[in-house]
Amino acid sequence: MTPVTLALVATFAPAVAALLLLIVFPLRHKGAPAAWICLLGSVVSLGAALKLLVDRLGGAGDTRVTAPWIMENGRAMAEMGVLIDGVSLPMLVIVGVVALCVQLFSVAYMHDEAPRAFGRYFTLHALFLFSMNVVVISPNLLQLFAGWELVGLTSYLLIGFYFAKPSAAKAAVKAFWMTKLADMGFLFGLLVLYVFTGGFEWTSQPTTLVATWVTALLFVAVIGKSAQFPLHIWLPDAMEGPTPVSALLHAATMVAAGVFLVVRADPLFALAPGTREVMLWIGSVTALFAACLALVQSDIKKVLAYSTASQLGYMVAALGAGNAFAGFFHLGTHAFFKALLFLAAGSVIHAVHSNSLEDMGGLRKKLPLTTVAFGIGALSLAGFPGFAGFFSKDLVLTSLEGKGNWIPWTMLMGSAFLTAFYMGRVLIKAFGGELSEKSAHAHEGGPAMTGPLVILAIPALASGFLGGWIGTQMHHAHELHFLALTPVVASSMSLIGLTAAWFVFRNGGKAPFAGTLERLDAFSLVDKTWAAGYQVGLLGISGIAGWIDRYLVDGLMNFGAWSTLEGGESARRLQTGRVRDYALMVVAGVVVLALIGVLR
Amino acid sequence: MNHLLSITIAAPAIAAAVLIFVPNSNRVAVRMISVVGAAISLVTSIWVAFLYDRALGGFQLLETFPLVPSMGIHLKFAVDGWGVPLLLLTGVILFTGVITSWTLAKRDKEFFMLTLLLVAGVFGVFVSQDLFVFFLFYEIAVLPMYLLIGIWGSSHKVEPSGPFKFVWKRFEVGSREYAAMKLTLMLLVGSAAIMVAMFLLWVNSGAKTFDLQVLEATRFPISVQHVIFPLVWLGFGTLAGVFPFHTWSPDGHASAPTAVSMIHAGVLMKLGAFGVLRVGMVLVPDAAAIWAPLVGAVAVVNILYGALCAASQKDLKYIIAYSSVSHMGVVMLGIATMNAAGWNGAVYQMVAHGIMTGLFFALVGLVYERAHTRTIAKMGGFAHVMPVVAGFFTLACLSSLGLPGTAGFVAEFMVFAGAAKGVNWWWAIPGVLGAFVTAVYVLRAVKTIFWGPKPEGEYAHLTDARSTEWAAPLVLGSLLVIFGFYPRVLLDFIDVASQTNLKRLPAAVTAQVTPPAGEKVVAR
Amino acid sequence: MTLTGCITLAAALLCIGIYGLVTRKQAVAMLLSVELMANSANILFAAFAHFRGGASAQVFVLFALAITVAEVAVGLALVMLIYRRHGDTTLDLASEAKQ
Repeated sequence: MTPVTLALVATFAPAVAALLLLIVFPLRHKGAPAAWICLLGSVVSLGAALKLLVDRLGGAGDTRVTAPWIMENGRAMAEMGVLIDGVSLPMLVIVGVVALCVQLFSVAYMHDEAPRAFGRYFTLHALFLFSMNVVVISPNLLQLFAGWELVGLTSYLLIGFYFAKPSAAKAAVKAFWMTKLADMGFLFGLLVLYVFTGGFEWTSQPTTLVATWVTALLFVAVIGKSAQFPLHIWLPDAMEGPTPVSALLHAATMVAAGVFLVVRADPLFALAPGTREVMLWIGSVTALFAACLALVQSDIKKVLAYSTASQLGYMVAALGAGNAFAGFFHLGTHAFFKALLFLAAGSVIHAVHSNSLEDMGGLRKKLPLTTVAFGIGALSLAGFPGFAGFFSKDLVLTSLEGKGNWIPWTMLMGSAFLTAFYMGRVLIKAFGGELSEKSAHAHEGGPAMTGPLVILAIPALASGFLGGWIGTQMHHAHELHFLALTPVVASSMSLIGLTAAWFVFRNGGKAPFAGTLERLDAFSLVDKTWAAGYQVGLLGISGIAGWIDRYLVDGLMNFGAWSTLEGGESARRLQTGRVRDYALMVVAGVVVLALIGVLR
Repeated sequence: MNHLLSITIAAPAIAAAVLIFVPNSNRVAVRMISVVGAAISLVTSIWVAFLYDRALGGFQLLETFPLVPSMGIHLKFAVDGWGVPLLLLTGVILFTGVITSWTLAKRDKEFFMLTLLLVAGVFGVFVSQDLFVFFLFYEIAVLPMYLLIGIWGSSHKVEPSGPFKFVWKRFEVGSREYAAMKLTLMLLVGSAAIMVAMFLLWVNSGAKTFDLQVLEATRFPISVQHVIFPLVWLGFGTLAGVFPFHTWSPDGHASAPTAVSMIHAGVLMKLGAFGVLRVGMVLVPDAAAIWAPLVGAVAVVNILYGALCAASQKDLKYIIAYSSVSHMGVVMLGIATMNAAGWNGAVYQMVAHGIMTGLFFALVGLVYERAHTRTIAKMGGFAHVMPVVAGFFTLACLSSLGLPGTAGFVAEFMVFAGAAKGVNWWWAIPGVLGAFVTAVYVLRAVKTIFWGPKPEGEYAHLTDARSTEWAAPLVLGSLLVIFGFYPRVLLDFIDVASQTNLKRLPAAVTAQVTPPAGEKVVAR
Repeated sequence: MTLTGCITLAAALLCIGIYGLVTRKQAVAMLLSVELMANSANILFAAFAHFRGGASAQVFVLFALAITVAEVAVGLALVMLIYRRHGDTTLDLASEAKQ
């Protein structure tokens, strides 16, 4: 099969699965068949992606094929197609692997759901994989946008999976609105690009001014999708969805689409140093801010959610520093170890029936495999030397070196310390210490649960060594100097953070400044600002508009009708019904006409 | 087949005529005849799409019958690239609308007769090549609405308030009679304006003819054009819901019975936009070019203001009705851009919005029939009892907010691209903002109506769609997705007509909107 | 008798007729006033025919007289109907058309 066919198979296999489940609804309603069909779609998709990878290793080059999609004046205004290159191929494989693991895990995790809900869950998963692959293989920004919105849709539907819960419904709608608000930036960016270059290609070479506008607008969408400050607030709420969904969408793949977009559109961003400067700062601020908030969360999923926002901040900062490869590399390793962490957390939640860290404790005795998996993920996230996260985080930090970027560099170093510190906290609270009441009856899930943990643990450990290969695929000279300033500081941060966590949390202590941070978290100024904007701004204005329309604009129309009727009533008085009056009028008329005749 | 277009028009009209002789009591026969009439139109309109040669373009499948030759009036039918998708839309909406009304109990024969007659008029407008006949069919399409809403509609109460509070003494604002009367009067005022414009065209054409193709070939003096264009814009625009003459639409759509709302918002409003495009933009292009900034500015008001009004509504049907006002603004914006992207988008949006709003009203009718309320605050958790309805409603919402993969995205994107490319590039900004506000109010409606805990009490035993109720959601829902993923099904037709008609625009306009050659950067 | 005298007489009759038409309430009186006005026209016809010569005007007068008779017959019939309906011949009562 040609590379294009393979890419199309990788993309459309899940789509076929989803379509089948949507149309042949008995399969969906029965539950179990839906899971198998969805998994089959994902296996085929991953298989095609791996075949592409093998071909690539065998020396195959880039492939780009497009077909007209929207016509304008006899030419193609927009195209759809496939692009397989050093960025989309690794991403395709990462998405395929993580998606398959998560879906497999879900079979066990969602086992207690009603058959219909179970079927719906897997239908949405298949739809998600399709949408995500549309993003990954897109050859231009318009198709990327189409897939981008579709993953947003599946995210909305999956967050709202437990739609009976008002909090889940609210979180789903909030996530959609926040990302949609940001996506207006994407749309405007596309329009600007279209007006000035006549297309939607990231390879076009507009002027610096245009490029700055386009990239700045695109970056607004990235802020929304990748949960950067100040649009990050939807991500913690999104944890209302089932845990595997959080692992796949809200940690490994969908939220990383923002970073993927910047990596793709790197040629455009390279023309816009101003945008990159902003990205560097927003990424760094998010990394530090979210890491602080992760420190005081009592919900294990929220810790991971804030940590995701924080890590995405790292990627955005790397992209802002102009190193697309570093951002993309961190995206890849993060996808593996964060998916692993979420799935391990899911395994814990499944065993303990609670999200709260307070209910956990001593789980290492009951869930040894999960403990090891979580430990690997946590160490990788903390950037422990040798683990996957260490390499990518080092690369991110190295790319910030020099160029007067020492403030962001320091902020990221600080959050590297915090990352190790809060992961140490979770490790100690959940797995260390004595068995808690709820943990007493915990036990490991079946192979469908532990299997994906084992599979994901391998790349979480070792994918750091693939950096060199990905770098060459992206035409990026990749060198790591382990004895340079950044790696040494970063690994010490990691070690210091873990050690500090051990000393602080070993005996159930609290982090310094925890009270302040908790108050900050509870006050949630950003959240309140957006809520006020929605309540006062949008609903307020719409209320006024509605009133104006009903009582002023329509009132004016009614007034027109009313005055016609009233005018008729008045005119009616002229018609007395008395013959004499009519006769008088006739005479008066004759006289007037005669006068006119005489005077003329 | 040479008489395909006349069959398309005649089938519903003949079905309506046959219905006169069917006894009221024979409910099955009434429905069968209506469905057959609708189905013939649907089949022939699909057939027309197959027969239309896109490579050739222009007007095809021409039929001429003399009507009043001394006045230059002929029954002349032909279809162009804009007409084909709109014929298809009308066929689909009529067919699903008739099936949706299957369970109607009150005076059903008369209902079907009027509906079929109305749609015969709609078909006629889309294919007429004679301005007089165009107008005749336009009136046939508009007038039955008075009876359809006045007899089969529903009423509700609007609290008196505001500076015009005193009018409540005279009108029962919100009643179905009020809605029917308002709709008819406003549209007839529009018709009067169109009629004046029509005769101005006739007088000034020199040839004393109503033939659109002859009129198209005539370049009217600019002073005449300046009088004609505003008359056409506001005359047809009233039916297209142009601000501030849109206020018949919320009350009318909210009061109308399900199938009538579907047909009215789905196809009838498109007649207005089609009229502006076909008569305004094509026949008097010079004046149109001068008036376009105003047309576009008003369209932008429509989009954003309509969306904001929709966001403030508490009645489900009003939300959908205001969303129609907002979406017709997108159509008018596309028309005002006067470039290929905008015009293609405008026609595409007519189809996309027609299908979407048809789906919306079908589902709202379905919910209303069961829950007997349209106040969204009273509903909740309906997805537990009617999951299919919930799914299709969500789909319609997604198309409404312009999500890629649905027809709404293609249309809105093209319109916004066309707007951004023009002189008045800022039109795109409120346009996109309007799409965001749409996302807010439609998803809030979904959340309130369908999500939440399982309903209790009177709503606990609501049922999902059954038998004939499946037709509209299935057909319209799948079309939304098909047209969203593969827009070229329709766009190839539309683009041919846009290309032809763009050539008539004054050179100044064309130069402004077409990017200089060679500026498009080819990808590697 | 001069032409001027005849015209003056006709004008006077017309004015009396108008005066009667607008001031009288009784249907019969109004009918009589209308007759006066009609006859003023007849006098003009006859006068002009006499002083200017020619027979056609005379024909008109005879014709008009005949029509006036028919008109009076219809008018009186209406008056009778009004009387039957209202018990009075005051025309102001007959304003049903206004409702």
